[in-house]
Amino acid sequence: MKKWLLVMLAFSLILMLGACAKKAAKVEPVQEPVVEKVEEPVAKVEKPVLSEEEIFQQKSLEELNKDQILKRIHFDFDKYTIRDDMKSILQANADWLLKFPSVEILVEGHCDERGTIEYNIALGEKRAEAAKNYLVSLGMTASKIKIISYGKSKPLVQGVDEATYFQNRRAEFVITKK
Amino acid sequence: MIMRRTILWACAGLLACQLSGQQEVTIRITEGMPMIPVAMPSFQLNETVALKKELVEAVYETLWADLDFSRIFKMVPREHYTYIPRFNPGAIRFRDWASIQANFLISGQLELTADERVIFSFKVYDVAGERFLFGRNYGGKVELARLIAHKAADEMLRHFGEKPFFTSKIVYVSETGNDRDIYIMDYDGQRPMRITFSSAMDMLPSWSADNEKILYTSYRNLTPELFMFDIYSGKTELLSSGGSNYAADWSPTADRVVFTSTKHGNAEIYLKDMNTGQERRLTFNPAIDTSPCWSPNGREIAFTSQRGGTPQIYIMDAEGSNVRRITMEGSYHDSPAWSPDGLRLAFVSRIENRFDIYVYNLKSNQIAKLTENAGRNENPSWSPDGRHLVFSSNRGGGYQLYLVDYDGRNVRQITRRGENKMPKWQKPQK
Repeated sequence: MKKWLLVMLAFSLILMLGACAKKAAKVEPVQEPVVEKVEEPVAKVEKPVLSEEEIFQQKSLEELNKDQILKRIHFDFDKYTIRDDMKSILQANADWLLKFPSVEILVEGHCDERGTIEYNIALGEKRAEAAKNYLVSLGMTASKIKIISYGKSKPLVQGVDEATYFQNRRAEFVITKK
Repeated sequence: MIMRRTILWACAGLLACQLSGQQEVTIRITEGMPMIPVAMPSFQLNETVALKKELVEAVYETLWADLDFSRIFKMVPREHYTYIPRFNPGAIRFRDWASIQANFLISGQLELTADERVIFSFKVYDVAGERFLFGRNYGGKVELARLIAHKAADEMLRHFGEKPFFTSKIVYVSETGNDRDIYIMDYDGQRPMRITFSSAMDMLPSWSADNEKILYTSYRNLTPELFMFDIYSGKTELLSSGGSNYAADWSPTADRVVFTSTKHGNAEIYLKDMNTGQERRLTFNPAIDTSPCWSPNGREIAFTSQRGGTPQIYIMDAEGSNVRRITMEGSYHDSPAWSPDGLRLAFVSRIENRFDIYVYNLKSNQIAKLTENAGRNENPSWSPDGRHLVFSSNRGGGYQLYLVDYDGRNVRQITRRGENKMPKWQKPQK
């Protein structure tokens, strides 16, 4: 019985204390600070898309070549005839070149590593020549195109599979004069 | 003469077999020519001036390696020398040397002079005849120790009726990083010396008939052109004009150079008279014609042509007429190299994407394969004596130069630094 009384007493005490504590913590609510909305009207400025002419004017020879304005073409094993699927690339290159008649280019012929050094120099030159002739047939002035062969001495990628060899059997178009 | 000598040595070999009786002797016979057994005990030193051990070893090892490489001599292994009393140059016991199968004995003595010159004296003895045969003394700067040994080895070949070639050199292209320049080295890969210093690609070097000039192709003016470098005057001359020009070969009998040029639009073979400067076109074909190479008598030219659809080896007369096809099978042959005796053509064939070196015998029409299933093997070039070839191979990863005997034996790597390609052995001298 006494125990019960004691427990009750303790409870009521705790409750009272709790009420007291609540009373003490009660503070006047602080007003929310006014947040000013900061805004800026969106300027309607757009980065202009450069026209081909503007790109041509603005970029240096190195930049033009680095961006591969003129795309390279690839060849079949031991062959120097222009593949049908490469003709559209040459057409695009010719279209661009005809827009800028001041441009002069160097066509580099390259081979994959599966050939001898002497023969590949000749084969690379045949590839460069075939690419040049095709551009001329599309209206380019022959005197504005020079050719060079590096044979197999400047591979584009390293490797020993057909995909690598295909990448390396190529003609590259380097702009030498704007 | 050579035939008779061969028979002589064959007899000597047989005699040695019979004399030795119960002992079993293996004699390896190649093309009917047994090799001559030679013993070479350690060299004697003159003790007046302290001689560096490396120097003695350089001369001894170089001479040993040369003779061992020759295919003429067979070195009696050093272990056998321990079976007999130590060599005493003052009192040579020939029977001891005969007992270990030595037919000839070389004794050497090295001396260093006060002004730092090496003097090498070597003497050759006939063991069976128990007599002194011949000897030579060579003197030179310490750094020429290897050359001194090569000179002695050449003298050995000369004495036995063979063409000396141990002092011959190889020109080649060496690549380290982005540099690709032309170098000259001893036939065994030692003492390399750089001779071109351009930042552009220099390639496909070859020798003039007198071995004093190097012809090579360089991209230094942004197009492949032919240059001629005079080793002893240091002068470089531009030889070509117009188009791409490469793969030059100097006639062994006259001052005429054949080379490939695209000056008229297509890869054709041209002949240039080095005295008058006049050029003559030898091939007229819309296909690729390249890699011209003179026959040793200067009357014919072997070359590669794609006129039949694929690159094949052809031979024409030096005037460009009488063209005949040599390779019939396979779809890719290039880099013909005519042996100094005129009987063989070495070339590269690609079969199922393997590049190997083959030797075609022009007399018997037989083809032998020199390299087998070991990387890509290219640019064969004959030694002046016609018993060895140098070629490049990537069998060990990067490209390095290797030597091989005419029958495919004794392959050994001679370069190790960077990548090394396009070797050409010096031309034979009369």
